[in-house]
Amino acid sequence: MMTMRALLALVALVSTPALATTHIAEHVTRARIVGIDVIAYPTSVQNVVTIVGVLPAGDAVVGSGNITLPTLTGMMLERGTTTQDQFAIARKLESVGARVAFSTGPQMLNIQARTLKENLPLVVGLIAEQLRAPAFEAEEFDKAKQQFEGWIEQSTVNTDYRAEEAFSRLAYPTGHLNRKYTVDAYRAALKNVTLEDVKAYHHAHYGPASMILVLVGDVDVTQGRAEIERAFAGWTGGGSIGSLSAPATLRAGNTNLVRLAGKTSVSVLLGAPTGLKYRDPDALALRVGTAIFGSGFTGRLMSHVRDRDGLTYHIGAGLSEDTFSDGSWRVDASFAPQLLEKGLASTRHEVQLWWSQGVTEKELAARKQGLIGNYHVSLATTGGMAGALLQAVERGYEISWLDEYPEAINALTVAQVNAAIKRHLDPEKLVLIEAGTVP
Amino acid sequence: MTLIRTMGVVVALGVWGLALPVGRARTASAAGAAIPGFTHVKTLDGIEEYTLDSNGLDVLVVPDHTAPVVSFNVTYRVGSRNEVTGTTGATHILEHLMFKGSTAFNDPKGNSIKQYLERVGGGYNAETSLDYTKYYATVGVEGLDGYVAIEADRMRGLWLREADRQSEMTVVRNEFERDNNSPDYVLYGEVTAAAYQALPYHHSTIGWKSDIECVPINKLKAFYDTYYWPNNATVTFVGDIDLGKALALVNKYYGGYKRSPTAIPALYTEEPDQTGARRVIVKRPGELGSVMIVHKVPNALHADHAALAVLDGILGAGKNSRLYGALVDKGLALDANTSTDGRHDLSLHAMSASLAPGVTHATVEAALLAEVEKVKVTGVTAEEVARVQRQTLADQSYKRDGTSGIASELSAWIAVGDWTLYESFPERIAMVTPADVQRVAQAYLNEDQSTTGWFVPVAAK
Repeated sequence: MMTMRALLALVALVSTPALATTHIAEHVTRARIVGIDVIAYPTSVQNVVTIVGVLPAGDAVVGSGNITLPTLTGMMLERGTTTQDQFAIARKLESVGARVAFSTGPQMLNIQARTLKENLPLVVGLIAEQLRAPAFEAEEFDKAKQQFEGWIEQSTVNTDYRAEEAFSRLAYPTGHLNRKYTVDAYRAALKNVTLEDVKAYHHAHYGPASMILVLVGDVDVTQGRAEIERAFAGWTGGGSIGSLSAPATLRAGNTNLVRLAGKTSVSVLLGAPTGLKYRDPDALALRVGTAIFGSGFTGRLMSHVRDRDGLTYHIGAGLSEDTFSDGSWRVDASFAPQLLEKGLASTRHEVQLWWSQGVTEKELAARKQGLIGNYHVSLATTGGMAGALLQAVERGYEISWLDEYPEAINALTVAQVNAAIKRHLDPEKLVLIEAGTVP
Repeated sequence: MTLIRTMGVVVALGVWGLALPVGRARTASAAGAAIPGFTHVKTLDGIEEYTLDSNGLDVLVVPDHTAPVVSFNVTYRVGSRNEVTGTTGATHILEHLMFKGSTAFNDPKGNSIKQYLERVGGGYNAETSLDYTKYYATVGVEGLDGYVAIEADRMRGLWLREADRQSEMTVVRNEFERDNNSPDYVLYGEVTAAAYQALPYHHSTIGWKSDIECVPINKLKAFYDTYYWPNNATVTFVGDIDLGKALALVNKYYGGYKRSPTAIPALYTEEPDQTGARRVIVKRPGELGSVMIVHKVPNALHADHAALAVLDGILGAGKNSRLYGALVDKGLALDANTSTDGRHDLSLHAMSASLAPGVTHATVEAALLAEVEKVKVTGVTAEEVARVQRQTLADQSYKRDGTSGIASELSAWIAVGDWTLYESFPERIAMVTPADVQRVAQAYLNEDQSTTGWFVPVAAK
């Protein structure tokens, strides 16, 4: 349930190097160190190192097991190790102003850290210790369960969360990586989970296999690799990303209403599974076409539904959840209950126009330039660069793809974009979710 | 808890750490390079401040050649503190209308701000707060000239049309409605409204719903013509640009404006003394309750803010904080936080906690107050103070990872009246002692200065 995917999604389309706007790959070093895929990118930033990483221990890997295990196991990483309690670890990090955090996403356990250069050995060592040897104390497990229960209760009344949950259950079939569990299912599972289950889950899914670590900033590559080798030496096990795939299905349109009392704005999702993974043929064309439709103030949705019609504060469209499996295309919006009907009508009208008439040469030319410009600007921070490197590798690309991305954008034609829209979407088969106090 | 309203949307760029070395030598200078048409104000640690002689526009330039990008930020010294009954939310609505076009840059011409910036790429947005309104973008160096031109044009050439107000009113109202989906947001608004009686901080930056719906366009025009002048603004450049080029751009695009015809109105209202504890209760459908306790503290420029920041770190930052130990680790709360809003006028210190399932409001409130009492009676340790000071030092490096982070922090200090606190506030924190922390707790965190709010979830009907 907990995810930092959203943070990485901020740099989703891409991000660019601090020193050079091309030839990123030339400055990247990549090697398998004690089984871990380690990627390092030194920049001219002074004293700061950002670390991001993943290993396949997210919600999707639980299979037929208890669905609270991925999140609870991730939570236990921050509750002490076999050699020191959580407060001792926190003291070490706080004393040097460093940060280490773990979070569980739909497919991955996410690792995120930031430190001053001189404390890199400490931070790498603590990441390894927390991943490898959680204390798994019973008292801490009970606290984690209580905290998880609280998050479930908060999510239950969150319109955005409930809309996402409902969308995934209409858009994806049972067993699909992107299909979410309900809050009721989490509630029930939490009653039955045991500490022994968590230990077994950790043993089965945590290890260097398929783990990625990215270091960006004031990094001495040789030192960084040595620290990783020292800290993770002898660790074995772990899962594989390849085994996670599940079949895709394009389903017929459907509507679901999630009634939540006392809400002043309705969260709306309108979309469909695309059947496309990020790097599939057509995916980039559909992505750019969707950016023209629903990204930024010049996107058609914002221009028309917000700017012209004044029907919403927030509306946009995008492709998502397509890194490890086929994903979805969706419009995400909010409407006042009394404007919901008008808002949906205006949105569907724009979808129909875009789908039937396609995008224009002028729109595509402007959007290409903007996407590439934004790509370069977004890579100017260590976080932006680290996120882009990690996402590229997660999507199955070589690092060189980051250099090729602008050219791939530039090469798209209007015909390709419009064909992709027609081929992978059908306005008659969209799933609609309304979550809130709906009239 | 956020006090900031934004246009929403747009491209968000990661703002994570880069740039300046920690612990560098402090340099300040009264003499800067002579630039015709400008008066040098001060230079501090490489940050240059000038004013444009023709109209009093304040200019800050922070060269940072780490990446070929520049953040340009225009901060107007007007926020919701400048509003009165009937125009609450006007600052924010005006911020929205600033994207509807101006004399030289607009949709019909195909060169409006959104068309321009989404064509050249980069992140852009605007924010309205209690004390300021700011407009900003981070662009590649080659896109800067065009962006400065647009910002300058809309400073005095904004289109303010009734049709735009009407369509944007419902947009802003939906922003209001989205915020009010969150019980904690509603609770903070009601606690703030109870804490402040006279100061305009009484109302939230987004304003009251009826004012959002009804404020007439002529009042928005009057607001614009009162506050949107070069002598009420600071423009900031951070990134791959040098002083000469930055000032040349300012002169080129802002040099033709005059100062405001009348002085920018000063807020003379003062908050009367609070003479007893205040309480509010918010009841709405929900699952878990929360508690919030705020106390009045001096404005952001007051010397005690550094000690208050250290107090916040000791109480609420990280697993070794006192609130984590007393509330979260003990299973009373899902989270517990403290913060001090540094405002232009009388400010607030806030503590809040989300109740763990099955725990009562009274229990959590008592636990929060007990931790404050411990600080007041027995003080804090030198180790606790040092921990916060070290975190602050590291944060200075992290915050400067990227040009937009520097520009954003500078504008926050500009809004409260002294941008040099961007550099000197961390130094003030480094000087704080355990006795200072105990003293500010004793001085400000008193029951008679408090306002306490409970969010009480009720069953859905």
